[in-house]
Amino acid sequence: MNTTNLYQELIELHKLTEMHEELEGGFFTVVRHYQAGIVHRPERIRQALREQDPERVAMESHSLKSVCRQVGLQNMGNLAAQLEAMSATGSLQDVEPLVEQLIASSVVASQELTRYCHDMGASRPFQDKEGVNEP
Amino acid sequence: MAHILVVDDDESFRLYLITLLRQAGHTVLEASNGETGLELFASHPVELIITDIFMPKMDGIDLLAALHAHRPNVKVIAISGGYKAMNSRLTLEMAKSFGAMDIITKPFQAGTVLQKVTRALQSSDVEPTKE
Repeated sequence: MNTTNLYQELIELHKLTEMHEELEGGFFTVVRHYQAGIVHRPERIRQALREQDPERVAMESHSLKSVCRQVGLQNMGNLAAQLEAMSATGSLQDVEPLVEQLIASSVVASQELTRYCHDMGASRPFQDKEGVNEP
Repeated sequence: MAHILVVDDDESFRLYLITLLRQAGHTVLEASNGETGLELFASHPVELIITDIFMPKMDGIDLLAALHAHRPNVKVIAISGGYKAMNSRLTLEMAKSFGAMDIITKPFQAGTVLQKVTRALQSSDVEPTKE
C-alpha cells in the first residue's frame, strides 16, 4: 500500500491550503495546536469513559469534532460527532468501540498532518518519538 | 485597526483567530471562558468580541447577556459548531436572539471571519469599554 500521499485521501486539503495562505508564517504553529488536540482529546475521551462521565465525553467529543473539521479531517470529525450524539443521551453504553476507533484514527491523522506539513516546508519536526507534545 | 477580544475554550481556535486578526493589524485579547472574557471586557478598551458559545464556567449565551447588561450596544460575533441536539444553525440563531450582531459557523474560512469582522467594525460608531 502506498501511503506517501495518504493525507490527500484523509484530509480535505483545500481547508489547510486556505489556512496556509491566510496565516503564512503562523500556519505551522497553528496546525501544531490543532494536531495536539487531535492526539490528546481522544485520550481524554477514553479517560472520561473510564470514569463513566457522559457529560465530559460529550464535551470533549464536541471539541474534537470542531478541531477535526477545521483542518479538513471530515471523517474523524464525523466519528466525533457520532460519539457526541451518543453520549449526549447520558448513556455510555456501546460507545467504547467508537472511542477506540477515534484513538486509532487520531494516530493516523497526526502522522498525515506531520507528513503534509513537512511536504509544505515545515522547518522543525512535528512529532517526536513520544508523539505530539502539548504546545 | 481595532481592539478585539476572542473568547473560546479551545486553544487551537483561539490561536487561529488571534493569529489571523493580528496579521490583519488588530490588537487582540484572549480568554478561555466567559468569566475571564467579561473581566477583560470590563478592564480594557474592546470594540468587538468574538465568542464561542459552548464553554465551561460561563458559556457564550451567559456572556452575551452579561455584556449587554454592561453595555447594550456592544458588538459581538458568536461562533459555534453546535453541541448535542443544538446544531450550529440553531445555536447561532439563539445567540443572535441574545444580541450577537453576526454569527460564524465552525469550521470557518479565514476570509469569512475577516469579512465579518470588518463589517461589524464598520457597522456604526465604535465605543470602547475603557480608554
